Amino acid sequence: MAKIVILGAGISGHVAASHLRRKLDNTHEVVVVSPNSNYQWIPSNIWVGVGRMKSDQILFPLAPLYKKKNIGFKQAKVTSFFPEGDSDNAKPFVMAEYVSEEKRGETEKITYDYLINATGPKLNFEATEGLNPGTNKTYSVCTYTHANHAWQGLQALIGELKQGKEARIVIGTGHAKATCQGAAFEYILNVEQELRRQNVRDKAKITWISNEYELGDFGMDGMLLSYGSNIMKSHEMVEMVFEDRDIEWILGAGVNKIEDGVAHFETLNGEHKTIEYDFAMLIPSFSGHGFKAFDKNNQDITEKLFKGFMIVDADYTPKPYEEWTVQDWPETYQNPSYPNIFAPGIAFAPPHSISKPRKSPSGTEIFPSPPRTGMPSGITAKLVADNIIDSIMQQKESLHHKGSMGNMGAACIASAGFGMTKGSGISITTFPIVPDYKKYPDTQGRKLGKTFGEIGLAGHWLKLALHYAFIYKAKMKPFWYLIPE
Amino acid sequence: MTRRISNFKRFVMMNPIIQFFRFLYLSIKVLLIVAGGHGGTRKI
Repeated sequence: MAKIVILGAGISGHVAASHLRRKLDNTHEVVVVSPNSNYQWIPSNIWVGVGRMKSDQILFPLAPLYKKKNIGFKQAKVTSFFPEGDSDNAKPFVMAEYVSEEKRGETEKITYDYLINATGPKLNFEATEGLNPGTNKTYSVCTYTHANHAWQGLQALIGELKQGKEARIVIGTGHAKATCQGAAFEYILNVEQELRRQNVRDKAKITWISNEYELGDFGMDGMLLSYGSNIMKSHEMVEMVFEDRDIEWILGAGVNKIEDGVAHFETLNGEHKTIEYDFAMLIPSFSGHGFKAFDKNNQDITEKLFKGFMIVDADYTPKPYEEWTVQDWPETYQNPSYPNIFAPGIAFAPPHSISKPRKSPSGTEIFPSPPRTGMPSGITAKLVADNIIDSIMQQKESLHHKGSMGNMGAACIASAGFGMTKGSGISITTFPIVPDYKKYPDTQGRKLGKTFGEIGLAGHWLKLALHYAFIYKAKMKPFWYLIPE
Repeated sequence: MTRRISNFKRFVMMNPIIQFFRFLYLSIKVLLIVAGGHGGTRKI
């Protein structure tokens, strides 16, 4: 009987755990190891950050659900990997340290037959000097606690604007290699709408700052999309929205230092500049968690498992941008050295960026890292779970389920303002996520009919509908599995 | 030259009746793209 251990209970880890539990009978053990006690639906953090949702509307405690569904749960953080076991233990295991109140500090060797590393990213605020949510007037919306702080900061600023103060708000990326521009894009539009709702929009200048070369890059090298009867580039669409909302923008900016109300950044043309602000929300860079791995003789084998994030079935051979292909991207998310270890979602090491790499004259790399959040996280987690289920059932390795980001669509339903009649959303779908320039040479690597944009109230309703649908699904309520990832 | 959102376009974007039908269309289209399958890219 097999024991499957899942590290992480975010979108990816929770999707894998729920599918494994549904399809495997109770003779098989499914165990989730996560330092977080709650599941959070991260895409709705945007609304927490503008005070339009409470954080308890986007989260629920994991322990009662997992107990009810017979999924083991250890509130602990993994510190090291032993994929061959050690001198005392022939079975592979991970070393975990409990963070729950009752067992805080205790360590445990958690053995496994299959391991799913769904630990996501480390929010690497330390990579930018002075960038720390809640200090230096900077905030984040990456977690619900960060989003709560952001709303407190924004609320205080709105109070000052009502007293007649004039202010600058800066929103975007807080590092030269940051990703997740989509979240910052949603937040800037929601903040803009909130200021209008509170009748203080004329008191604030709002500026977008980003490591993108062009607006609408989103870490995916931008896209050519159909918009109504037009065909336009994503940068034209985002420019149109920013012009409409009176939002200024700074592009090709690698933020490298934050002081109280001042962001220092280097631009792609080599200039070192600063921008002052009264409120900023800057997305940090993402990094691996710095895990270590050891063989059965206690020798360090970290490089067999990790390359920052976890090594999977991608082609990591260094090559120039012109030679990148979709075939470089992983299909099964299986570690090549240890076939019983998988890393879906953000936890896998991408072979390279999707956006074209660019450097400043001083050699600073300023371009977005590839996004793997949200929908691709769920899809890759499900296919990993399905391959493990097949392998257990057939009693031999099965990698039948595949899902390359070069052959997968993604929907980004970006909130542009909250409200049943005043809200707005910018819906962008992309197929494939990683452009396939050989298959779609005339449309910038994407299939036009499946790559489209739409702006309007319907987008807000759709994002709200997805919020309720995915929380319903995450709570594993009746027929939850009919809702696609 | 940056494109601008015209008043007519803004009316279409924010009209609840028009947007209700856009919502149905968008939901189905997004569902088809997202749930429409995925796979590998390498030849075996």
